Amino acid sequence: MNKEMYKLCKWAIDTALKNGATDCRARMSKRRFVEIRYRDKKPEIVKEATTRGLNLNIYINGKFSSQNTPDIRQTALEDFIKKAVENTHFIEEDPYRSLPDPKYYEGRADMDLQLSDPKHGDLTAKQRHDVVKTIEEVSLDKAGEKVISVEAGMNDSEWEEVILTSNGFEGTKKTTDHWAGASVTIADEGDRKPNGYFWAGARSFEDMPSLTAIGEQAALRTLDLLGGKKLKTESLPIIIENRAVGNVLWGFLSGLYGGNIQQKRSFLADKKGKTIASKLFTIKDDPFIKKGFGSRLYDGDGFPAKKRTIVNEGKLEEFLIDWYYSRKLECEPTAGGTSNLIIPPGSKSADMLMKELNRGILITGFIGGNSNSATGDFSIGIIGKLFEDGLPVQSVAEMNIADNHLNFWNKLSAIGNDPWKYGSWLTPSLVFDDILVSGI
Amino acid sequence: MNKIDRRKFLKNSASAAGMLFLTPYLSGSMLSSSKLTQTGYFESEFGIDDMMCQMLLEKALSKGGDFADVYFEHSLENWLNLEDGKVSRSYGNVLLGVGIRTVKGDQVGYGFTQELTKESMLSAAATAASLVNESARPVAKNLNSLKTENYYPFDPSMIDLPLQSKLPLVKAINEKCFALSNLIVKVNAGFHDSIKRILVATSDGVKAEDILPRNYLYASTVGEKEDRTEQSWYNFGGRRDFSFYTDELVTKLSEEVVGRTEKLFEAIQPPAGEMPVVLGPGVTGILLHEAIGHGMEADFNRKNISTYSTMIGEKVAEPFVTIIDDGTNTSQMGSINVDDEGTPGKKTILVENGILTSYLHDKISAKHYNVKPTGNGRRQNFEHYPMPRMRNTYMLGGNETPEDVIKAAKKGIYIEDVSNGQVKIGEGDFAFYVSQGRMIEDGKLTAPIKDVNIMGNGPKMLENIIMAANDLKMHEGGAGSCGKNGQGVPVSFGLPTCLVKSMTVGGTQQKGGVS
Repeated sequence: MNKEMYKLCKWAIDTALKNGATDCRARMSKRRFVEIRYRDKKPEIVKEATTRGLNLNIYINGKFSSQNTPDIRQTALEDFIKKAVENTHFIEEDPYRSLPDPKYYEGRADMDLQLSDPKHGDLTAKQRHDVVKTIEEVSLDKAGEKVISVEAGMNDSEWEEVILTSNGFEGTKKTTDHWAGASVTIADEGDRKPNGYFWAGARSFEDMPSLTAIGEQAALRTLDLLGGKKLKTESLPIIIENRAVGNVLWGFLSGLYGGNIQQKRSFLADKKGKTIASKLFTIKDDPFIKKGFGSRLYDGDGFPAKKRTIVNEGKLEEFLIDWYYSRKLECEPTAGGTSNLIIPPGSKSADMLMKELNRGILITGFIGGNSNSATGDFSIGIIGKLFEDGLPVQSVAEMNIADNHLNFWNKLSAIGNDPWKYGSWLTPSLVFDDILVSGI
Repeated sequence: MNKIDRRKFLKNSASAAGMLFLTPYLSGSMLSSSKLTQTGYFESEFGIDDMMCQMLLEKALSKGGDFADVYFEHSLENWLNLEDGKVSRSYGNVLLGVGIRTVKGDQVGYGFTQELTKESMLSAAATAASLVNESARPVAKNLNSLKTENYYPFDPSMIDLPLQSKLPLVKAINEKCFALSNLIVKVNAGFHDSIKRILVATSDGVKAEDILPRNYLYASTVGEKEDRTEQSWYNFGGRRDFSFYTDELVTKLSEEVVGRTEKLFEAIQPPAGEMPVVLGPGVTGILLHEAIGHGMEADFNRKNISTYSTMIGEKVAEPFVTIIDDGTNTSQMGSINVDDEGTPGKKTILVENGILTSYLHDKISAKHYNVKPTGNGRRQNFEHYPMPRMRNTYMLGGNETPEDVIKAAKKGIYIEDVSNGQVKIGEGDFAFYVSQGRMIEDGKLTAPIKDVNIMGNGPKMLENIIMAANDLKMHEGGAGSCGKNGQGVPVSFGLPTCLVKSMTVGGTQQKGGVS
């Protein structure tokens, strides 16, 4: 644990208590990051900085406020904390507002999740520039004559936090991440200039995928958009590509949150223990994946992270309930959010699924749209390809799908073997039957 | 090392974090009105004088470059929230720092720091300078203060307002909403306000300072009727002073949000497919924002990646269509006295009588096109470099009446409120989500509709605006922001009632059937 950050959090809590707070949570974080972008084979953006901040949650017998400041000098903080505590007195008392019962802090796993690359500090400016130059060159080459613009880039950062509470929680987390990719624009018919992208990342620099593969993917995904047009409105099977699944899945998850359930804004509030989706639909949450983007040892309340199954073969098994809303709902807390969210993969690739379906639409991205957490209704624009005889034949644009989550997930009929690797939601490609796709 | 007086910042930070709670005792010791004048704030509070700015600019251009700028920011943000009948939580946030930019052609070097010490700021300037490796470029010998108009007359006493002045507004919303309808089962309400002070100094000798207020009062309600649940959200705000938030506004907000929730119980899903779309006046101006505004941001055009890159001077719409992006509207969320590069707030005509006339420029694109900057160089905060961004984007009214526009549509949908717009710049394809609207049948408004996405293509949609009414209305809210390249900035919209010949409606039923 970073001793300097620990000492500051401890001092901030002591100062808050001395000034009249009954409880306090202090979280200090700092982040060092570098961003490089290239276009036309020269640097377009070079950016680098370090940020830091202190967040204080102040509790006075059910009165609560949360304050952020970038000024972490002890002399400055003393007056800041004093004023913050004084001001919290003016908030109305909420009997449900408190730090968690310390018994819930117990049982944290003791393991190294390998979230921080010990060699991150050795990364040189030349290495970063070489990464970006390589990706740009590959994308330019692969996109060929149609290319208008390639913007390639790399971001990397080192982040660290320390959290302490006045009732005994101590936690720390240190991570690094490295991202690289490109955005490609090409010429199409008329004034259309399709733009596609591909970015990939890893906790450790040495785990980054092949730069050539990244550059090629960015170009190929853009070329796939050529000739996009609106087709007639019809019902047909769809495949949602792995990296796009999250755009629909989040609307389903919105019904699981304790805040939405307690505030009567959840279409899933009365569905726990019930079958609400196809038997193929399972969602798991695994915080212990080594080098995972969502991996953690404790959640936002400080509770020990644990593996859990949220939806099991179509049956809703668990909500996402933090400490505060567990008190309001008079139930046990689970965790207020997800870590590494997993839909277990199937055995077939997206290409095999297209062949089996024969005709349908492969959705590779979404545009606009929204989901209503109270009703489960959603409507969202799609980007992708019509496939016939198992092969892509036509790019589609300006089209849309709409449904209700309680209906939609029952239409899940197959799952791909290709979980998305570059994020905390490890979603494979999903097949849904009989979806109305609106166009002309 | 030139130490900044951090004790002064300490006071300001503490008061910012607790700005909603200031007691009369505290308010006297905090940000007094005298410190809220537009000029001299960073010098008096943090010792940032012209000499310091020039030293940083010299460092930023110490290895060459076309120009450099420094952007100081001190922002104070507060949020007060009511849930289950109690104003039981508040949040505060302070931002303080400087961003330093070196520009060569279309290349940008950028460094920033939260520490306003000479050592730390010079280090950030060195990061920016690392972009190039040439001989140093001189900076202007003097900084000349920019005189600007004031498009958001701001009452400095707002920052001194004690909690007691704001809390009753929020409490009153709760009471009024429950009193208005027995269908309402939950009310969530709050007041958000922020003050952003900026100082921009440029290597060509411009110094500009501003104070940007932003605030809004919001409410959401959940209603239950038989086995259905519906929710609505609404807000009023902008760059306002506190006198805007009257009892009458509280009543208006409560009636609006409750009325919207009640109406949703009668709502249906419209049919899917292409059909005429009438956009009601006001917030539906998001259509312009997505369909043309982003595509006219000049960075996309100088890179030739916007669908509008080759269309300047061409006819893109009917002659009655004039579209403006404007930083000079009084109290609108996107109004700016000066942009974040030191260019005064301006009004820019994007489409004049159907002809595409101008992109939205920052300094880099203005130089590229050899035109003057249009005052659209904006950024989220000091941690980000500026880029062309919209301000308040609206279309002038036409000659028709709203009733005639709806009548002309015959059969289609009428859109009253929207959210979640998005556009693909190169293709021009865009989408936005309809949260409130109605069916149009036989030229009349009939059943309410909700939760449907609308898809279109920017250039095609502009061509397809075939009627405009004489009822231009600007968006009334202060919440939300426009996102681009990871940066959010406040913007606003406006539109008169318009008929678009055809757009794709993402409903759940085949045409001919209505659920």
